[in-house]
Amino acid sequence: MTVTSQLKLRTRVVAIGPLVEEFRASGLLVLFQAGAPEELAEFSVLHEASVNLATVAPGDTIRLGADRYGVLAVGDVVNKNLASLGHLILKANGLTEPEMLGDVCVEAKPLARLSVGDEIEITGPPQEAE
Amino acid sequence: MTETEPKTFKKVRVEKGSRGWGGPLTIEPKPGREYIVSITGGGIHPLAKKIAELTGGIPFDGFKSKVGFEQMACVVIDCGGTARVGVYPMKKVPTIDIYPTSPAGPLMMFIKEEVFVSGVKEENLKVVE
Repeated sequence: MTVTSQLKLRTRVVAIGPLVEEFRASGLLVLFQAGAPEELAEFSVLHEASVNLATVAPGDTIRLGADRYGVLAVGDVVNKNLASLGHLILKANGLTEPEMLGDVCVEAKPLARLSVGDEIEITGPPQEAE
Repeated sequence: MTETEPKTFKKVRVEKGSRGWGGPLTIEPKPGREYIVSITGGGIHPLAKKIAELTGGIPFDGFKSKVGFEQMACVVIDCGGTARVGVYPMKKVPTIDIYPTSPAGPLMMFIKEEVFVSGVKEENLKVVE
């Protein structure tokens, strides 16, 4: 018997906007796939995904570089945004009900400072498999 | 030199939809400011196409190509409440969110009812004389 987790998103950071650090310090991380307009890239982490199932759900784990965060809540339009624009709003606010339709809420702890080349992953809860 | 007929535009009044916020906005493209810019996933949103059709503006996919803010008659977004919702109001571009979002997020001070309306569907558009 082995324990596995479904890989839902695997992506690599290709650019970090000048306002990302300010947003990060307030517990907010904005992702867009590479190619987003400049006015959005300013405060976004741009990335290129190799896996994107767009099925994020509470109970998943998000890994930002070396740090892991438990997903507590997922707004109604999160997976649509993720599928169509590689767009994700990550809020480290500890809420179990999203305030906004586009929010992914994770544990209230400091968000990792990402660098170009870092990997972001989202995995499902561990499941036992034969 | 050939002279082309000057293009004529119509005004469209955009009201908030059910559970929406802000507006009403009057969208009126002008020469040099004629793009109806869709900043949405999956190509130009049907609401942006409809506004372009009603006003005579040019529908434009803001994720595929680039156009200056001063050339935008309005933008249509499908923002879930944090990022896009503030950026275009900050640039003073009339902003229409298809989702019923209220002001929030790091740029919420820019989200005013004169420049932002949300929860908008086709039935909330009206051509005005």
